[in-house]
Amino acid sequence: MKRSIKFLSLFFLIPLIFSCTDLEIEPTDSLITDGFAGVADVQSEVTNLTNTIAGGDLGNQNGLFALNEVSSDEYIVPTRGTDWGDNGRWLAIHRQTWAPDLFDITQAWQQLNSITINATRVISPKSTVTAGGDINIQKAQARFYRAWAMNWILDMWRQVPYRDIDLPNSAIPAVLTGQVAIDSIVADLNAAITDLPSVSAGNGIDMKSTPTKAAARHLLAKLHLNKHVYLGSSPDAADMQVVIDNVDAITADGYELAAPGDFFDIFRPSNDVETIWWSPADAGPKTWLTLHYNQNFPGFNDGGGWNGFTTLAEFYDLFEGPSETNYPGDGQEERRGVVHDPSTANEDNLGIGLGFLINQQYEQDGTPLDARDNVGGVPLVFTRETEQAEFTSPADNSTLETSGIRMFKYHPNEEGGDRRRHIVRYRYADAFLMKAEAMFRMGGDATAMINELRTRRGASVLGTVDAADLLAERGREMYQEQTRRQDLIRFGQFLRAWNLKDATDETRQIFPIPIADVLANPNLTQNPGY
Amino acid sequence: MKITLLKSLLLLGAFVCFAAVQAQTVSGTVSDSSGPLPGASVVVKGTSNGTQTDFDGNYTLNDVAGDATLVFSYIGFASQEVSVNGQTTINVTLQEDATALDEVVIIGYGQTTVKDATGAVASVSAEDFNGGVISSPEQLIQGKTAGVQITQTSGEPGAGITLRIRGTGSVRANNSPLFVIDGVPVTNEAVSASGSDIGAGSSGPRNPLNFLNPNDIESMSILKDASATAIYGSRGANGVVIITTKSGKGAGVNGQWNFTTNLNIAEVRETYDLLTTEEFIDAGGANLGGATDWQDFIFRSTASTDNNLSYALNYGKGNVRATFGYAKQFGIIEDTELERITGRINANHRFFDDKLRVGLQATVSRINDQAPFVSRTSGSTGDLLAASLYSNPTLAASPSLSAAPDRNPANLLAFYQDLANTNRFLGNLSLEYSFTDEFSAKVNLGYDTSESERTQVVGPQIIALNNGAENNGRAALNNLETENRLVEVTFNYSKEFENSNLDALVGYSFQDFNRSGQNILGQGFGTKNLNEISNVISSSFEDTRNIVSGYQAYGIGVFEDQPDLGSQFRVLNLSPQPNITTADFNGIPIDALTVDTFDFTDELQSFFARVNYTLKDKYLFTATVRADGSSRFGGDNQYGYFPSAAFAWKLNEEDFINDEAFSTLKLRLSWGITGNQDGLGYGQFLNRTRWGRLNADALGISANSQITAPATLEVAFANPELKWEETAQYALGLDFGFSNDRLTGTIDFYRRETSDILLNLPAVQPATAPFAFQNVDGVIVNQGVEIGLDYDIVQNDQFYWNANLNFAYNQNELTDYDGPDILAGQVYGQGLSNAFVQILTNGSSLFTYNLRNVDQDLNVDTDPSIQDENGLPTMNAGFSTTASYKNWDASLFFTGQFDFHVYNNTANALFALPQVGSRNNLQSVIDSGVAPSSQNPSTFFLEKGDFVRLQTASIGYNVPLSSEGALKSLRLSLTGQNLLLITDYSGPDPEVSTTDIPGSTGGIPSAAIDYLAYPRPRTVTLGVNVTF
Repeated sequence: MKRSIKFLSLFFLIPLIFSCTDLEIEPTDSLITDGFAGVADVQSEVTNLTNTIAGGDLGNQNGLFALNEVSSDEYIVPTRGTDWGDNGRWLAIHRQTWAPDLFDITQAWQQLNSITINATRVISPKSTVTAGGDINIQKAQARFYRAWAMNWILDMWRQVPYRDIDLPNSAIPAVLTGQVAIDSIVADLNAAITDLPSVSAGNGIDMKSTPTKAAARHLLAKLHLNKHVYLGSSPDAADMQVVIDNVDAITADGYELAAPGDFFDIFRPSNDVETIWWSPADAGPKTWLTLHYNQNFPGFNDGGGWNGFTTLAEFYDLFEGPSETNYPGDGQEERRGVVHDPSTANEDNLGIGLGFLINQQYEQDGTPLDARDNVGGVPLVFTRETEQAEFTSPADNSTLETSGIRMFKYHPNEEGGDRRRHIVRYRYADAFLMKAEAMFRMGGDATAMINELRTRRGASVLGTVDAADLLAERGREMYQEQTRRQDLIRFGQFLRAWNLKDATDETRQIFPIPIADVLANPNLTQNPGY
Repeated sequence: MKITLLKSLLLLGAFVCFAAVQAQTVSGTVSDSSGPLPGASVVVKGTSNGTQTDFDGNYTLNDVAGDATLVFSYIGFASQEVSVNGQTTINVTLQEDATALDEVVIIGYGQTTVKDATGAVASVSAEDFNGGVISSPEQLIQGKTAGVQITQTSGEPGAGITLRIRGTGSVRANNSPLFVIDGVPVTNEAVSASGSDIGAGSSGPRNPLNFLNPNDIESMSILKDASATAIYGSRGANGVVIITTKSGKGAGVNGQWNFTTNLNIAEVRETYDLLTTEEFIDAGGANLGGATDWQDFIFRSTASTDNNLSYALNYGKGNVRATFGYAKQFGIIEDTELERITGRINANHRFFDDKLRVGLQATVSRINDQAPFVSRTSGSTGDLLAASLYSNPTLAASPSLSAAPDRNPANLLAFYQDLANTNRFLGNLSLEYSFTDEFSAKVNLGYDTSESERTQVVGPQIIALNNGAENNGRAALNNLETENRLVEVTFNYSKEFENSNLDALVGYSFQDFNRSGQNILGQGFGTKNLNEISNVISSSFEDTRNIVSGYQAYGIGVFEDQPDLGSQFRVLNLSPQPNITTADFNGIPIDALTVDTFDFTDELQSFFARVNYTLKDKYLFTATVRADGSSRFGGDNQYGYFPSAAFAWKLNEEDFINDEAFSTLKLRLSWGITGNQDGLGYGQFLNRTRWGRLNADALGISANSQITAPATLEVAFANPELKWEETAQYALGLDFGFSNDRLTGTIDFYRRETSDILLNLPAVQPATAPFAFQNVDGVIVNQGVEIGLDYDIVQNDQFYWNANLNFAYNQNELTDYDGPDILAGQVYGQGLSNAFVQILTNGSSLFTYNLRNVDQDLNVDTDPSIQDENGLPTMNAGFSTTASYKNWDASLFFTGQFDFHVYNNTANALFALPQVGSRNNLQSVIDSGVAPSSQNPSTFFLEKGDFVRLQTASIGYNVPLSSEGALKSLRLSLTGQNLLLITDYSGPDPEVSTTDIPGSTGGIPSAAIDYLAYPRPRTVTLGVNVTF
C-alpha cells in the first residue's frame, strides 16, 4: 500500500511539470517585436515595391488600369457571350455607375496604400541594412514610389491615409487632403530628386525600370498640372511654371520625341529616346485582352486573344485617316497604327496589326480570318461601333464577338515574347504635352509645340490649338497609357455622355472610399454621392 | 488477503445455510449476454443491504433472509428481481434495457444517463450507426440526431465534412464542434498537408478525423446546449462531440475475435445530359473529328474493400481490445483513391483492490491519398470536372491534343499527379484512483501527433496552364507535422445524503498544439516523368535543408531583383533580425526551388469545475465553470470565463403526474456561456514579421522560372483588444415517454447569441497586411426547436418494428451589426472573375444572397440587391425505420433539408446559353433557348434546394449457428447508400458543402454554392461480420 501511494504521488505530480504556463508564444515562426524595428534588407524591399507596382491590380488590366481607362471614352468592355461579364464590373466602370464595393476600387485602394506603407517602412531611419547597392538611392526610390502611390490616391480619392509606423497599429491613420497632401508628395519628390541617379535618354533601358531624377520630375510636373483639380481651384501660373521647369529639366537629360516612324518602337523593350520610366509588368494583358480568340501566336499563344477591350468609334475618329478601314496606305497618321492586309501580313507580324484594328482581320499568310465556328464563323470584321454591351439572344453572339475597334500599343511578337515584362509608365511625349498645356493655361500659345509633335507623328499641322485640341492630342498620343481619366477631368469632359454611357454627375470624378475604411477610420469621410 | 476473506465468507455461508429461515449468505455471478458484468448492484429488496459485483461479475451477500428478494441492476440494463427461496447461489443474466432513457451518455469529464441528464445531450451508439461506406466518424451519425447538420463537402473519398450543431454561429473558416476522442480534445485543423495552387486553383482540406477507423467507435455523444458544453469552455460554442472507442469490456473471459469485411460497389449517381457529338455539331460547334463522352471518360465504377479484424478479452481485472483495419476506397473519378491502414488498442486494468484504474487507448494510422485535378476555385478554364463538362465531344481523348485556351481532360488526367500520405498517432493514458468511496482523482495524458506529405506535380506536357508549368513542369511539396500534448487532472467527489446526491468535479488541463512544416515549390526539371519530378523535388529539398540553419525560407535559382548574378542560393533568416545570407551549393536539377517553413505552437490552459446536485431524485441541478487561457490572446483578454447552469425536473416522479400516462416526463432548463477561437490562427494579437508577400509564400516562382524578390511582411499587428468570441445559449427541453417508454421523445427550444464576432476584416489602410482579425460588434442569433420521436410500433418475440424521427428548425440572423456589408460567396468560372453572390449584412441570415433580380421577361437588374433567400436550410429532418423478424432485419433511413436556396454556379459558369457552340452544353439549355440578358450572377441561377434523400437502405441476416461451433455469430448484410434523391433542384445534387472557399474575402465562408462538386456516388455494400 505504501508503495502504491508513492507511485501515485509521483504520477499525480507529473502535471505540475507542465502546469501554469504563462501562455506566451515563442518567436519560432516569425519575429515578434513591440513596434516597427526597421526592414531587413532595403534593397530587396525596394525591388518588392517595384514588383508590386508592376504586378497585381496596379500592373494588369484590373484595378488602376480599369478605373483610369475603362471609365473614359477610350475603352469599353462589352460582355461577349459569357466572357467579360465579370459580375457587371466592366460596364459599371464604363458607365461610371460603380459602388464602393467594386472589386477594382477596393483592390486599387488597398494595393496603392500597401505601397505607401511599405515605402514608409523603407524610408524610416530604423531601416539601415541593405544587402547591396547604395542605401541612399534605394531610399530615394522608395520616396518616389510613395509619392507615385499617394499621387494616385489623391487623384482618385482626394483623401490620402498616412500611417506613422512608429505609432502602435491601433492608432488610427491620419488623412492628408488638399494642400497638405500635395506638400507631402512634393517633399518626397524633392528629396528623391536629390539622391536619385541622373539617367539620360542615352543610358541603357535597364536603368529606367527604377526611378530616376527624370521620372521624379515627370511626376512633379504631373502633380502640378493637376493640382488645381485637387484643390478645386483654377490653374495657378506658379504651378504651371513648375510643370515647365521640370519638363525642361527632363529635356536637358536628353529625352526627346521619337523620330517619325519610331512611335510604336517606344513600347518595345529596347531603348528609345522617349521612355523615362517603365515597369516590369506583363505585356500580355495589354495585348491579348483586346485581340480576338483567333488572332494568335503559333507556338507561343495558340489560344489567341481574350477578345475583351475595344475602343469607341468617336475616339477612333480623333485620328486622321479613313473612318472604315486602317489598312496600310490608307492615309492614316502614324499613331493610328495599321491593320495588316494580305499585302503586309507575314510570319513576323503574325498578321496582327498595331494601334487600331478595324474591319477585316487577316491570318499571317494573308487568309481572311473568321470569328469562331460557334458564332457561325462569320468573317472577323471588327465593327466601328459597339452597339450593345450585353447578350440578349443567341443571335447576338456573332455581333458581340466581333464588335468594336481593338486598340493597343504592345505587339505580341517583340523581343521577349508576348508575355515580356515591359510596360512604359512615363515617357517624354507626355512631358512634352504637359509643358504645352501648362503654357496654354498660362495664356500662352501651344500651337507650335503641338504641331512639332504632330509632324513627328506624320499628322498634318493645326492652324490654332484650343483646349479641345490639346485634349484630343493627348488622347491620340497617350491612349492605353493610363492618363485619359485625368485628362478628361482636367478638361471638364469626363462626365459627358458617350457610347453606352449616359451623362453623369460630378461626384463621379472621385471614387468612393471602401466602406470598411470609412467605418474604421473616422479621419476619412466618404466622398459625396456615395 | 481478499481471497482468504472470500473463502472464509463462503465457508461461513455454507455453515449458516443450515440455519434455514435465519439469515443466510447468497453468492453468484452476474453477467450480460457477452460475459461477466462487473460493478452491477445487488440489493436485498426493501433493505439497504447490498453490494456490487467484482471484476469477475461475482458477488456475495450476507444476512439475506431466506424469503427475501434480490434486486439486480446495472446502468443500461433492465433490473431483475429474484426470490431467494433458500438458494445460496443465484446467477443472473441481465438483459439490456429496451428503454433508451437508461442508456449511458458520455459527457464532458464523466458520464450520466439520459434519464439524469440536465443538458441537451444526444448519444448514438454503434448499433444505430449508419452503414455502408463510411470514411469518417461524422458520417456514422449523419441525420441521426435533431439539430445536427452534417454534410460531406464532396463525394471524394476522405473529403472534408462540415458539421453544424444548432446552426452556424461564427463567420470564419472553422465552425466545427470540438471533437473529444477518449478524453483527448483533438484539433479541428487539418493534419494532412494542404495543397498548393500550382495552376488549378486550390482544393479543400481533408477531414482530420479520417484517421479514426469507424469500426472502432462504440458511441458518439453530441453535447448541444451550453450547460453540457461549457465544461469545455472556450471550445464549446459550436457544440462538442465525444467519441468513445470500443473496449473489451463485453468480450467475455475467453476472448472474442471479430472479422468484418465489406465490398463496396460505387458509381456516379447522376451525370449531366450533355450534347452528343452530332447534337454538338448541329448546335454550331466545331467538328474536330473525334467522338468522346468526356463524363464517361473521367467517371468510373469502382469496387473497394474495407476489412477489420479485432480481438477483445475481458479477463476479470481488466479488458483489452485490439484491432487492425485496412480499407482501400476508390473514387468514382479516375485517379482518386484513399487507402487507410489503422491499428488500435484499448486496454484497461484495475490494481490495488480495484482502487486504481488504468486505461490506455492508442491508434496508429496511415492514410495514402490520391487526388485528381479537381478544385473548388478553378477559374474560366476550369479543372478536370469543368473540362469534362465543357469539352468539345468531337475532341479525341488523346492527352497530347490541345484545346487551348480551354483544357483537355485527357491531358489533365495524364499529366497531373497528386499524392499524399499522412501518419497519425493518438494515444492517451489515464489513471484513476479512488482514495475513498467518495473521493477519486484522475490523471489523463494525451498525445496526438501526425506527419503528412503531399506532392503535386504537373508535367511539362500539360497544356493551357499559364504559370510556366508548360514545357518546364512544376511541382509542389508540402510537409506538415503536428503535435498536440494534453495533461489533465481531475478530482471527483460524490456523496450520497439521505434524500440527495452531490457530485463535484474540479480539474486542470493543459494542452499545446504545435504545427510545423515546409511548403516547397519547384519549376523546370528536365524530365517529363511525373514520378521522377516528384523524386527530384523531394531529394533536392533533403539535399539542401541542412546546408543552412535558422532560416524561414530559402530559394535556389535566378532571383528577379538580381538576374545578372545568375543562379544563387539565398537564405532568408529571421534571427536576430530578418536578414539574407547566401550559401554555396552543388547544383540541384531544378531551375528554381523555393522552400518556406513554418513552426508555431498554440497553448491552452484551463481550470474547470462542475457540481451536480440531485434532490429526491426529482430535482437535478448542474453548474459548471471553466477558465480558459489561450496563447492566441494577450493582456487582459488571455483568460476567458465560461459559466453555465442547468436545472432538470423529473415530473413523472411527482405525485400529481399520472405515471400510467407518462412513464417519463422531464423538464430541462439551461443557460451558459461558451467561447470560440477557432479559425483565428496563430499570434494575431501582436506584431509579427515574416518573410513574405501578400497571401503567398515568401518566395514564388514566376512563369519565366525566376524567383520573386524577397521582402518582409508584417503578418499580424499588435491588437491587445482581441478577445474571445462569446456565445450565450438559453435552452428549454422536455423529455417524455408514454406506455412504459414505448413512445419516447424530446423537444428542445434554444436561443444562441454569438457576440464579439471574430471577423477577418480588411485592415484599416495603409496596412502591411490586407486583412486583420477584429472583434466586431454584432450578434449572430441562432434560435430554433428540435424534436425527436422514437416509437416501437411492434414489439414481440419474433417481430420488432421501430420508427424514429428527428426534426430541427433553426433560424439564423445577424443583428446589431453596424459594420460594412461584406461580400461573400465568391464564385468562379468564365466571365465570373471577382464575382460574389452572398453578403454579410445586418438583419439577414448568414449566407444571404446578393443577386441581380430577374423578372418574368428575363430582364436583369444592373446591380445586385439583397435577397430574402439564403443558403442555410432552416429545417433538417431524419427518418429511420428498422424492422426485424427472426434472424432477418431491415432498415431505411431518409434525410432531408428544407427551406434553403442553392446557387447553381455550375449552370452559371458552364451552361449559360451564350456558350452554346464554343463549349459543350446541356440539351435542356438549347431546347429552352432561354437566357437572361446577361450572364452576371442573378436570381436566374438561384434555385430551391429542398431535398429528401434515401441515405441508406439495408437488409441483414444473422445466420443461425449451433452453440458448439467455432463461430459465435455470422451476419450478412447488404446496404445501399444514396439510392434515391427527391428534389426539384436542376443540378445533380443540392446538398453542397457549407465551407470556406478561399478568396479575396479574408476567409468568410460561403454556403450552398454548387460548383463542380465531386459527385456523391451511389454505393452498394455487401458486408460479412463474423465473431469467433
